[in-house]
Amino acid sequence: MPGYGEDPEWSDIVPLPQDDGGPNPLAAIAYSDEYSEAMSYLRAVMAKNEFSERVLRLTEDIIDMNPAHYTVWLYRAKALFTLHKDLRKEFDWLNPFALRHLKNYQIWHHRHTIIEALASDLDEKSPKIDNMIREEQDFLDRMFTKDAKNYHVWSYRQWLVERFNLWDCEEEREAVDDLLRKDVRNNSAWNHRYYVVFGRPNAPKNTTEGHVLMQREINYAEAAIRIAPQNQSPWNYIRGILSHFQQPLSNIKSLASEFASLEKPDEVKSSHALDLLAEIYKEERQLDCAGKAWDLLAQKYDPIRSRYWMWKKEQLGTAAA
Amino acid sequence: MSPSGVQALGPGALGESKLNKQKHINYWKRCLKTYLPTAYTSTDSNRMLLAFFVVSALDLLGALLEHTKPEEREGYIDWIYRCQHPEGGFRGFPGTDFGDERNAENKMWDPANVPATYMALSALLILGDDLSRVKRRECLQWLRKLQRDTGSFGETLGENDNIEGGTDSRFGYCAAVVRWILRGAAKGEVEGVPDIDVDKLAECVSSAQTYDGGISESPYHEAHGGFTYCAINILAFIRRLPPHITDIGPGADRGPPGLGDLDSAVRWLVSRQTEILTEEDEPDIDDEDARDEAGSEPPKEEVRDLRGFGIFPEDNQALTRLELLWAGFNGRPNKIADTCYCFWELGALCALHRQHLTDTEACRRYLLDKTQHMVGGFGKVPGDPPDIYHSYLGLAALALLKDPSMKPIVPSACFSQDAARFLESLPWRKEITAGGDSLPQGFQYDLPSKIDERPKEGASDSNYMAMSGG
Ligand SMILES: [Zn+2]
Repeated sequence: MPGYGEDPEWSDIVPLPQDDGGPNPLAAIAYSDEYSEAMSYLRAVMAKNEFSERVLRLTEDIIDMNPAHYTVWLYRAKALFTLHKDLRKEFDWLNPFALRHLKNYQIWHHRHTIIEALASDLDEKSPKIDNMIREEQDFLDRMFTKDAKNYHVWSYRQWLVERFNLWDCEEEREAVDDLLRKDVRNNSAWNHRYYVVFGRPNAPKNTTEGHVLMQREINYAEAAIRIAPQNQSPWNYIRGILSHFQQPLSNIKSLASEFASLEKPDEVKSSHALDLLAEIYKEERQLDCAGKAWDLLAQKYDPIRSRYWMWKKEQLGTAAA
Repeated sequence: MSPSGVQALGPGALGESKLNKQKHINYWKRCLKTYLPTAYTSTDSNRMLLAFFVVSALDLLGALLEHTKPEEREGYIDWIYRCQHPEGGFRGFPGTDFGDERNAENKMWDPANVPATYMALSALLILGDDLSRVKRRECLQWLRKLQRDTGSFGETLGENDNIEGGTDSRFGYCAAVVRWILRGAAKGEVEGVPDIDVDKLAECVSSAQTYDGGISESPYHEAHGGFTYCAINILAFIRRLPPHITDIGPGADRGPPGLGDLDSAVRWLVSRQTEILTEEDEPDIDDEDARDEAGSEPPKEEVRDLRGFGIFPEDNQALTRLELLWAGFNGRPNKIADTCYCFWELGALCALHRQHLTDTEACRRYLLDKTQHMVGGFGKVPGDPPDIYHSYLGLAALALLKDPSMKPIVPSACFSQDAARFLESLPWRKEITAGGDSLPQGFQYDLPSKIDERPKEGASDSNYMAMSGG
């Protein structure tokens, strides 16, 4: 591919080279000629605020080499809007790009801008909105096949849920269920479930109805614990639920006791259960038992955190005194 | 522990873990004095960040003055000032600079950048510049425009002064350091510019604490080590950590604390320490198959599957000390250890004065034996080649662990105490802070010399327990 300098389409542009100052630049990079030249043309067109088809191609070229460039994305968005481009076509370029660059934030901000613009042109009840959401969900599922814990993708998914009111969307719950079936330790998926159930505008309250939901979610986490007791995510999930409903941890004493018991100190199946048990004993003012549980954690089941467990035990002493 | 097991590890495995200081100095000298490889093009927009890492790494190694001439340092300082904006703040890299062609219509494509401004000011201090050429008034004015109504900060100002960039705590953190550098703990107007909205910033941090205790990008997102470091250290800079963390003196002016649940934050942070160091260490139980085989009854996880993720050897005996020799930190639950999170998690714990609750020796050995690279620098995980980001944060983590080869670090600011003291000695800064600065909580110039010595804080902790009814 000929460079911009030889391309007649660009012959009217005087490139603006990078000025790195004197002889001692910091963190100077061995730029390729292609990058240096493309950046010089980008500066030249940005300085003139040119928005054109060729500018769109130039931004794709730059983004491919330096996807973290924080104004080229904004510049591209403005070009798309100025030229009244068909925004749905943007995904033909953006989707494969996102699948290649997993760790980039700007892609997701750009996607957000495009979807917001498309949605604002449509009636909220239009079936086109439903289609668009379905396509977004399908694409996110594809992203998750590459990395099911990708922070940017999960953040985007949460935005989508809130923006389009997907709190009770069957596909949303099913997608997360599916990821947890594939990897019960996917903490991002657990977090998303918590968001959909408890982060909604009318989050469940301490009512009979709310308590039915509380039990449903505890049962869900319990089933996951039975598959992998040493998985911290569902244990944390249950703690979160109890705290949301301001319930004492002792609500799940029997579950914790099933996986850790002071009577059978050699048969502890989960350090997280033992940790929980210690706190339940503390709640119940059975300080001796709490101390024993922390000793077991420190000495045997979670020695990597022995200082933390011993500190918890000391705190107990100070609190009791 | 089994003595034969120790021997089997070979020399250097026990007790000899050591920073190969000269190799690291060579690595950073190469980064300073020769072009970075073309692969760094994808981080071109973050050159100021790379510049800070290079300069600060050599400073933390105590090698900056020895390996640079005064005229070179002047050159580096000039380069940083070239990235300063006429309207305050610093751009992230020279690549957006239009030079003489800059005008009111195109300046939005060449904005000042919040993280770059923190990095530029820090690098200037490390290089011994007194910040006299910094447009302090403009910078403080610009900084205020970056704060949203919700309290969060953005990265840059776009068209019509639109606040661009994410809402996460990284930008708020960088803004908090810039504010501290230029204002100290001054009250009210400085250079005629009012302060940012500190209450809103604290509220914003507090709202992002998650159900498992860590802090996320924004409410209900997943907790993450990097955001947790930034959030907790924002609170250190703006003096909104829970009151018992450090005693900042009677009558100290402070608002309500910005961390709702301290205990669960500490629990989340110490839980990030893990001996799972590579993907192969992860348990690979195929949950779907397991469910199918067992029909409706979910199977119990086998002990061998527990082993990787916790601590349960096959004979269900306690792990020996040997197996706990190396333990790094991860960024989120159920992820593998990664060099950079040793800094982020320990750095957050330092601000809370709780770093001594981790296995600091195992972390040190993880960095030195597992991710330190033979050519100098650190990789992300064992076997990875070094990169600038992990190489810097590996060193910074060792400085948090008081490695004798490293200069003392300011955990909240991520640069040396020497640089912070130099800042506080500057006449213009003394004038602003009326000489009575002002170390924010968490600065810990006086950390105990052995990090695992428990700070004298038992009394205040029990006060907290009493306060929270615990
Ligand atoms: Zn990392």
